[in-house]
Amino acid sequence: MRVVVTLNMVGLNAYRRDNFDHPTVGLAIVVALAVWTGLAIWLYHDRARRTPALLLADLAIVLAAMAVTPWVKSTEFNATIPGFWVMGALLAWAIHWHWRGGLVAAVLIAASDLLPRSEVDQGNYGNVFLILIGGPIVGFMCASLQRMARERDAAERAAAAAEERTRLARAVHDGVLQVLAMTQRRGAAAGGEWAELGRLAGEQERSLRSLIRQQDTVPAAAGGRVDLAGALEAMATAHPVRVEVATPGGAVLVDAHVVSETVAAVRACLDNVAAHAGDGASAWVLAQAGRDEITVSVRDDGPGIDPGRLGQAAAEGRLGVVSSITGRIEELGGTATVQSGSWGTEWELTVPLA
Amino acid sequence: MVRVMVVDDHPMWRDAVERDLQAAGHDVVAVASNGREAMARFPASAPQVVVLDLQLPDHSGVQVTSMMLEHDPTARVLILSASGEQDDVLEAIKAGATGYLVKSASSAELIDAVTRVADGDTVFTPGLAGLVLGEFRRIADGPADDPRDQLTERETEILKMVATGMSYKQIAARLVLSHRTVQNHVQNTLRKLQMNNRVQLTRWAIEHGLDEGPA
Repeated sequence: MRVVVTLNMVGLNAYRRDNFDHPTVGLAIVVALAVWTGLAIWLYHDRARRTPALLLADLAIVLAAMAVTPWVKSTEFNATIPGFWVMGALLAWAIHWHWRGGLVAAVLIAASDLLPRSEVDQGNYGNVFLILIGGPIVGFMCASLQRMARERDAAERAAAAAEERTRLARAVHDGVLQVLAMTQRRGAAAGGEWAELGRLAGEQERSLRSLIRQQDTVPAAAGGRVDLAGALEAMATAHPVRVEVATPGGAVLVDAHVVSETVAAVRACLDNVAAHAGDGASAWVLAQAGRDEITVSVRDDGPGIDPGRLGQAAAEGRLGVVSSITGRIEELGGTATVQSGSWGTEWELTVPLA
Repeated sequence: MVRVMVVDDHPMWRDAVERDLQAAGHDVVAVASNGREAMARFPASAPQVVVLDLQLPDHSGVQVTSMMLEHDPTARVLILSASGEQDDVLEAIKAGATGYLVKSASSAELIDAVTRVADGDTVFTPGLAGLVLGEFRRIADGPADDPRDQLTERETEILKMVATGMSYKQIAARLVLSHRTVQNHVQNTLRKLQMNNRVQLTRWAIEHGLDEGPA
């Protein structure tokens, strides 16, 4: 840009050389300004050389060239010698010291342009006005850009750090899981106290694996929607019944209220397993997600419910199961059905997604 | 007796699996600790079943699966994974693995799985069944002109039962089917998944003009 305004300055001054009272001095000034331009481009190129001293010198040269104009040309001069060349120093100040720098440089340049003039016409006024507006605005935009660049850099650094942490966590988790699984296996083979140790290792292994899966599906909990799969995993891990959760893979983002009610209903199913299916019973939870509905199946391998017992309980006014499972799901506009057989008991909870 | 190759980067596991398999009368023809070694030793040892840990240091479990099956389509890959990373498991199954087991499975379960996979059967965990159901659900909810196969109602029903921990025997009893029929249905779901994966790849190739060859 400096090159363009310098060419413009040199060209204009050459074109109107007859306006000069002292052409030789005028030529010397133009040459000096051109040389300073080359020097300034080189000096500004390296960040380390962009010192306040350089900026002050840059502006001082501009102001000096402006100040000598009435003497070198005539007091009735039309355009100053530097003309639009002042832009270089003005923008340098705006870039370096933002809107304050832009404003200070603009005011100084405007003053040096207006003061020596005998009369101010509309063109002079327009130029000064543009300088006064342009300096601070360019400065302000530079500040914004620099801030945005800083923020972007920080965000990129944070993302890279998080990615690296995740990678390390994966490696650590995998190692821990391997050892837990191995302890479980060896313990079961050795029997006795070792079997108990193995069983404990197995429990830890299951909860760690479930935690990792929850972490995998955590990302976008946006707009009041939360991940049903992760919530089911978290609840099942904490539940005393031995539960295995199967999910469709990835996050199942559903309205937070639907998630909390569905999870509560599934918890009631599992409580029921703990109460009726005996100590050794296991349960399985399967979550499925379609475009317009979610389905959660809960099965246990207990002896099953005697057909009609639920109805009988309802008739006797013992509505525990009905209100905590069926009630919750019906509130959400869904259906809860239960089947039972030699293979255990299975609840199927279906909730429409509005 | 099944000829088995064990691929796992943890020596502790490799040895344990090898010992269990040998104790059960199987022949461990090769071991490897990463994808590169596995691919180098696979052709010469020609195993019937590869017991493969997905978490290899060169992150190549899925790639190793497809390369092995490309080289020898009669080989069977049984995934043995500690953390059960969902995406990787599903990708490995799409690439042609026919069994998946978590490492906490007992020795008996592992040996049973190796024998079944060698016989051409599929070994599912409830977690894998859930993933496969989810995958077909995503296909169903996708664009209507999707050429990929859907599951039949029966297949979906059976897969749901596998996902809630029911054994083939229990499923057969509940649906009044033979054990063999249940097995076939489960096998079909995997076959469809793998076929769909090929369709997808082919379509991708056509879309990118890779089917025309050098002009």
